[in-house]
Amino acid sequence: MNRIIRAHDNLREASGLPAVLDAAYNAFEDMLPVIRAYDDPADGTFAAFVMSAASVADGRDAIAWAPSLPPRRLGGPPAPGEEPHPGTSAAEAAGALAGLTRLLATRLAQAARSAPDDRDRAACADAWRHARDIHALLTGTEP
Amino acid sequence: MTSQATFGDLLLSARRQLGHAGGAASGTGDVHEAAHGMLRLVTVMARYPGDLCSPVEAVPRRDWPVLHAWTRASLEARQALASAAGLLQPHAARPQPDSMTDRTFAARLETAAVSLAAGRDLLQTHFAPGPRGGRRPRSDWALAITSPPVTRALLAELASMAQQIAPQGASLALSPDARGTAGARRALAAACQWLSIFSAAIATAHLEEPVSAGDRELLLAIPLNELPPRRLPDGSEPVGNLCDAVTGSAQRARHAAWITAAQATWSPGTSETSLRRLSAASTLTSHHCEVLLRSLAARPAPPGAANHNVELLRAADAAGRARAGWLHVAKTLDQVTTDTPGYLSQSADEARNLALWTGRLAYASPQWTLVCGPAHPARDPESLAPEPDDVPRVVAAIQYACETLTQLARADREHIRTAVRAGRILVPTRSLPDGYDVPRPYAEAPPNRIDSLLTAYQHAGEASATVRDAVARIAETTQAPSRMLTAARSAARVSIGGSRGTALDRAYDAAVADERRDQPGPVERILRDLGLTTRELLSRGAAIDHAGEQLIVAAIGKPPPPEHGRRNAKTRRQSAVTAALISQALTSGDPYTIALLHSRTQRQREPPEPEPEPGL
Repeated sequence: MNRIIRAHDNLREASGLPAVLDAAYNAFEDMLPVIRAYDDPADGTFAAFVMSAASVADGRDAIAWAPSLPPRRLGGPPAPGEEPHPGTSAAEAAGALAGLTRLLATRLAQAARSAPDDRDRAACADAWRHARDIHALLTGTEP
Repeated sequence: MTSQATFGDLLLSARRQLGHAGGAASGTGDVHEAAHGMLRLVTVMARYPGDLCSPVEAVPRRDWPVLHAWTRASLEARQALASAAGLLQPHAARPQPDSMTDRTFAARLETAAVSLAAGRDLLQTHFAPGPRGGRRPRSDWALAITSPPVTRALLAELASMAQQIAPQGASLALSPDARGTAGARRALAAACQWLSIFSAAIATAHLEEPVSAGDRELLLAIPLNELPPRRLPDGSEPVGNLCDAVTGSAQRARHAAWITAAQATWSPGTSETSLRRLSAASTLTSHHCEVLLRSLAARPAPPGAANHNVELLRAADAAGRARAGWLHVAKTLDQVTTDTPGYLSQSADEARNLALWTGRLAYASPQWTLVCGPAHPARDPESLAPEPDDVPRVVAAIQYACETLTQLARADREHIRTAVRAGRILVPTRSLPDGYDVPRPYAEAPPNRIDSLLTAYQHAGEASATVRDAVARIAETTQAPSRMLTAARSAARVSIGGSRGTALDRAYDAAVADERRDQPGPVERILRDLGLTTRELLSRGAAIDHAGEQLIVAAIGKPPPPEHGRRNAKTRRQSAVTAALISQALTSGDPYTIALLHSRTQRQREPPEPEPEPGL
C-alpha cells in the first residue's frame, strides 16, 4: 500500500500541468499492481477489482496522449513492486484506491479546465472519466 | 429454452399439410390447380438442393460417378425436380379463390410450399451474399447448415415429402372424378413419377451412408438467425428468466464476435478499451460459471447417475482455470494499447452484459451488480434448480456462456493478430526502457509483448474450450436443450475436416476459406493491382480466371499421360505459372475439382498403367 500512499502524496503536491500529468500517469500506473495483487476470486470485491483494472489502464493510456506529459517519469524510475500488505484486506485496499481516484478526479478535472492546449484538456477529460468510473466500481458512488 | 423459430417448426408444418388425406385421396379436385400447387412446392424443393450443389452443378453427367453418393444424389434430385416442374408448368392454373378450401389437395400443396419457402428463408438468414456472388456465413450455424450431416438430413426430409405427395398426385391424375384435361392428367402423373425418382435417388444414397436420428434432430433445431433483444435486469426475474437472459446475451455476444472477425485491420472496435473490458467481463463470466457449477454439484445426484456431481465439479474446476486464463489476458493487456482509444465494441458491451446476467444467476442477491459491495453468497442450490427437471435449463445457460467465452477468446486473438500486422498494437513510450528514443507518446509494441499477449489469449481460449466441452458432456447427460450446440459444432467439423487445430480453429478456418472463395483470381488480381477499376475489364479478368480453372480441372481429369517426356499433374502444380490458378481452383471449394485433384494425386502413387491406344 506504500505505493498508493506515495502516489497520493505526489499527486497532491504536484504543481504545474506537466507535473500533474506525470503524477496522474504514475498514479494510474501504480494502482495496477495493487489491484492485480488483490483480485482474489474468493473475495467479494473480485468483480470490482477486475473491472477497475481495465479502467485504470485506460486512464493511464488517456493521459499518455497529453502533449504536456513529460516523455520520461519525473523523479526517476518507480519503486519496485510490492506484494499485498499482510495486514491489509481487499476492502481496505479498495478504500485506499478509492481515495487516490477521488484525488485523481479532482486534479484531472482542474487540469481539464485550465490546460491551454486542447489535446491536454481532452486527455485530462478522458482520464477524469476513467477515474470517476474506478471510484464508482470500488465504492458504488461517484467521487 | 428460447422462443426462437426453428427450421423444424416450418418443415413439420409443411409435413402436416401433406399428411392430410384431402381431395386427392377421394379422387376429387381440379388437376390444373393441383398442378399449380405442386409446381410451387417442387420449385421451392428444387431450391434446396440448388443451394447445396451449386459448386458441382456444372459437372457433366459422365463424371457423376466420381462424386460422393450424397453429392450425386443432390444433383439427381435437382434434375428430377426440374423435370417435374417442366412437366407441370404448362398445365398449372392458379386456383380460383372460391374453389379453394383448406382441405383440397391443391390448397394443401400451396400451404406446404409457403412453409417450405419460409424454411429456406430461415436457413438463408445464416448467410450473407458475398461480393462475387457467393455466400458468406453470418453465424456459426452456417457451417453446420452446409455440413454433410445436415445436408443429408435435409435431402432425406425433402425426399420423404416427395414420397408423401407422389401417390396423392398420381391418384388425383387417374381419378375419373377429378376435373382437368387429359394433357394435365398425364403431366401430373409424370411429375409424380419424377418425384418418385427423386425419392429413389435419395434412398440409394441413404443406403450407402444413412442419415442418423441425430442429424435430423440437428436439422430441425436450426434456429432463425435473429438476435434476441438486449435485456437489462430489474431484480425481479425468476431463475427461468435469468437462464433465458444468459442464453440471449451469450448469443448476442457470440454474434457480435462473429460479425467483427474480419474487421480488425480498420475497425475502431479493436481498441484497448474493448479488449480490456471484454477480458475483464470474460474473467467474471468464467468465475460465475464456476460458482453455478459448484451450486449444481451441491444438489443430490440424480438416481443412477453417480458420476453426475463429479462431472459438475470437474467442469467447475475447469471454469476456475478459464477464469485464471482470462485474468492473465487482462493483466497482459495492461502492458499494451491500441491506436483507437476509448471505443467500446459491441462484443465487449455484450460480454459485459453476459457477466452481469451470469452474476445475477450465480448469486443470491437479486440486486447483484459488477460494482463493489459486501461479499455476496452464491445462490442456494435448491433455489437455482428446485426440481431435477430444472437442472437442464441452468446447464444450458452455462453451456451457452462457455461456448461464447471460447469464441470470444478466439475472436480477440484474431483481432490482435490482424491489428499487429496493421501496426495497431502499441505501448506507451514511457513504459519502454530508457534506451528507446521515440519522440511520440506511443510506439509499436515490442515482439515479446505481442507474443505474451497472443499466448495468453491462446491459453484462455483453450481453457474456455475445456470447460465448454466438460459442460457439453453434462448437457448431453441431462438432455439440456443446448446440446444442439455440440451437435452443430460436430457437424461443422465434419464439413471442414482435414484442417488442424481445435474445432473452433477449424470453424474459423472454414469461414476464412469461404471468404477466400470470394477473392479475385490471379488475372483479376493483377488488374486490380494495376489500379484498374473498370467493371468490364474486371469482369473479363474474372472470366479468364474462371476459364483457366476449368481448363486445369479438365486437363487433370483426363487419363494420365505417359511418364516419359510429359509432365504429370504434380509437376504441373509445381509450376509457378499454374500454381496460382490451381490454388484458385482448389480454394473455390468445388468438391468436384477437389475430388479430381485428389484422385489424381492418388493415382500418381500407383504404378502407371499403359496409356490406351487412340480409338480404343
